[in-house]
Amino acid sequence: MASNFAWLLALAGLSAAAATSPRVFPFAYTQEDLPNGLRLVTIPTDYPNIVALCIVVQTGSRNEIEPGKTGFAHLFEHVMFKGTEQYPPEKYEAVLKRAGAASNAFTSDDLTAYHTTFSKEDLETILAMEADRFQHLKYSPAEFKTETLAVLGEYNKNSANPLNKLFEVLRETAFDRHTYRHTTMGFLKDIQDMPNQYAYSLQFFDRYYRPEYTTVIVAGDIETHSVRALVDRYWGNWKRGNYRAAIPAELPQQGPRTNQVEWPTRTLPWLAVSYRGPAYSDTAKDMVALDALSYLAFSENSDLYQKLVIQEQKVDVLEGDNEDHVDPYLFTVLARVKKPQDVAYVEQQVLETVKQFRERAVSGERLEAVKKHLRYSFSLRLDNSETVALTVASYVALRRTPATIDRVYDLYAQLTPDDVRNAARRYLAEQNRTIVTLATRQAGGAK
Amino acid sequence: MTRLLLSLLFASGAWAQMKVVTLPSRSALVNIRVVWGVGAAADPADKPGLANLTAALLADGGTRELTYKQVLDALFPMAASVSNQVDKEMTTFSGQTHVDNLTAYYKLFRAMLLDPGWRPDDFQRVKDNTINFLRVSLRGNNDEELGKEVLYNLLYEGTPYGHHNAGTISSLEKLTLEDCRRFYQTHYGRANLILGLAGGYPPPFLEQMRKDFSGLPEGSATGTLPPPPSIKHTRAVIVEKDTRSVAYSIGYPIDVRRGDPDYPALLVAQSYFGQHRESGGLLFQRMRELRGLNYGDYAYIEYFPRGMFQFEPSPNLARQQQIFQMWIRPVEPPTAKFALRLALYELDKLVSEGLSQEAFERTRDFLAKYVNLLTKTKSAELGYAIDSLYYGIPDYNRYVKSALARLTREQVNRAIRKHLRADRLQIVAVSRNAEALRSALESDAPSPMTYNSPKPPEILEEDRIVEKWSLGLRPEDIRIIPVEKIFE
Repeated sequence: MASNFAWLLALAGLSAAAATSPRVFPFAYTQEDLPNGLRLVTIPTDYPNIVALCIVVQTGSRNEIEPGKTGFAHLFEHVMFKGTEQYPPEKYEAVLKRAGAASNAFTSDDLTAYHTTFSKEDLETILAMEADRFQHLKYSPAEFKTETLAVLGEYNKNSANPLNKLFEVLRETAFDRHTYRHTTMGFLKDIQDMPNQYAYSLQFFDRYYRPEYTTVIVAGDIETHSVRALVDRYWGNWKRGNYRAAIPAELPQQGPRTNQVEWPTRTLPWLAVSYRGPAYSDTAKDMVALDALSYLAFSENSDLYQKLVIQEQKVDVLEGDNEDHVDPYLFTVLARVKKPQDVAYVEQQVLETVKQFRERAVSGERLEAVKKHLRYSFSLRLDNSETVALTVASYVALRRTPATIDRVYDLYAQLTPDDVRNAARRYLAEQNRTIVTLATRQAGGAK
Repeated sequence: MTRLLLSLLFASGAWAQMKVVTLPSRSALVNIRVVWGVGAAADPADKPGLANLTAALLADGGTRELTYKQVLDALFPMAASVSNQVDKEMTTFSGQTHVDNLTAYYKLFRAMLLDPGWRPDDFQRVKDNTINFLRVSLRGNNDEELGKEVLYNLLYEGTPYGHHNAGTISSLEKLTLEDCRRFYQTHYGRANLILGLAGGYPPPFLEQMRKDFSGLPEGSATGTLPPPPSIKHTRAVIVEKDTRSVAYSIGYPIDVRRGDPDYPALLVAQSYFGQHRESGGLLFQRMRELRGLNYGDYAYIEYFPRGMFQFEPSPNLARQQQIFQMWIRPVEPPTAKFALRLALYELDKLVSEGLSQEAFERTRDFLAKYVNLLTKTKSAELGYAIDSLYYGIPDYNRYVKSALARLTREQVNRAIRKHLRADRLQIVAVSRNAEALRSALESDAPSPMTYNSPKPPEILEEDRIVEKWSLGLRPEDIRIIPVEKIFE
């Protein structure tokens, strides 16, 4: 009986929450700014014992504005593990070990994020140690050089996958000026030159590892006020900086572009059809309209998927992607084609689908299914504190607040079929298009 | 803390031997995991890949009532899917849904598993996908996973574990829809079935599920498997492929699994030596941090596929037989021999010296907390609970923590000496210019290391030992296999 009663209570709680709040982000969070410009976001969750800490620096490969320095934000992510006087790497490791923590970091176009998940009793230790490395990182030229080799090792292990090469070429072809022209890993020649860039690395740290670029996200079994007190104590003396990167703006594309990649080993051909898209926005509808279009036109429940993947079985991967970015990025349709002779046909089918979406509005019913899909897939993701922190991190990179999540999902809710057609007309135009194909190099080709 | 309710329904009647694992909670999400105790080890000798293809057809095909397209359309608004995983002895179907959609989702889930459509066009598509997975995704695009899977195939050659779970390309090309249907009828029974349910489901839902699955025939579980063949000398296979760098997987079978008295001790040894994707492991420190040889180096005592994509292992890969494995991420070709020597040198040191008291305590304390992170999602917690049932142990976190609390350094070092060794290894390398690598590996010539920055004297001194470290490889024990031949 007792457990049945508990079950009824739980359900009542759920429906009450659903009736009073349409918010897609279900957690009550607190956002505070320290006087030095550091932002703190605390998110108590119902998941017991565990705390997830994610420190977001709003610096990624987008900030790599100088020639020859591509891949530096990512390299710096590695360098951040080289220690301080108070916590040399061995001690840093020992503290993480004692806390039973899982710790890692990642870099993308728009952010570098450092995340650690651990038991709640270790919160102060971890926050203090992280504060120390963000303020007092110290590494020798020799340690720096060794770490550049680990980055080369990362490039090497990635290089077996043709998609990495495909996106490298796609970006280089689609962009002329903006730093999205290169991938987060950077160009191989720049990675190979990294050992010579110690001085630049110090400058990079000085520019970007500053409180005004940084947001500390703490999610899990926590109390907001005690987290704030710890952050004040350990992060409060961090000095604000004043550097602003001048990211070169991309000029409008003047006509369609194409490129081909030859792959040395056997693979199925890949096709990427890309259009210059809008930047992330939680106020204008274009971005969310193109998100919806990527599902309507190219997801598993699209007509094209039904045709190419299920009926004709000419394609085994088909997806549309409109990634969130700070600056205008790319709307991309990606297909893996089973037979090389079908690539032209698949390309024509993708272009034909784009044309239909420019010409005709979709049914309201189908758009509603996409809206439901988006809301449910978001809430299904938030099933533990670590993914809560990481999900918030991806939005902090864009707008520095979790508030943008509900704003952008409100925009989805307001979308109409006309919005989708208008966005298709504005962005999915021939002069904005770049097509890149990748296929196995033919025998006798250049080695 | 969540409650683990384990209902072992040994009562007579329709549900005899079907097991149920539940983790009820107040979450708005519901996780379902249905695990049959059958997998690639049950593939007929002439039909490798049949278990996997059958499961893929259920998860990626239509039902008797609905075409696959209709299934996808129905799942889409719920943002839900049905995933499947086939390992040697387990076939798992899992999914997650918001409780709002539980009834509609389960209707599809149930029909996909209990009333499949067996359509020829679904079969053809799923078969093509599987062949492309082996030929393109694994063989063509992922040198590290390829090396790992080749290692397993070699260690278990001639036994029911001796082929990739997805089978071989020549076998897949011959398999028929009727083969799949027959496999399903024979092996998807009650006797080898575990139903797992977690999250905020209403109590009557569990009864409904039990009732639905009780209609299956009895079926049978995998029997005891023959031991893997022993390795007499260290041997190497070089998979020749046009690739930038050299990826290694190294290992041998061990007879320790969860529930074995030495499992907690070996878990400590593994974590100390090469905790997955963490920088604190010894191999990672010695190979990457100090010497910059590659991106990372790890060690395992349980099967851990897809390690490059995930930080925690997937559950429901429970096996009677496991291997000790080292994963050396791709190294630049000029340092390939030195890197291999260093890995074996470190393994030798682990076996001969064991852990210091300080290292033992540090690693034990780490694991006692880290184990919580393995079950941070409900889906993982449910998966681990099912695995614990397979291995006959209590809830995994409790099992590990209580064993660690009693463990001593001597027990760990004794378990290392008993189960691990630095000779009689199977080495797999994925590399271009296989002949050149073969010559390098069979020669005793030193392979000195050079660095792009000054190194401490103790590292340089150690390098002088490592550069001459014997791999114990006889020329006749090195084989080259062109990548096109793998999984054919």
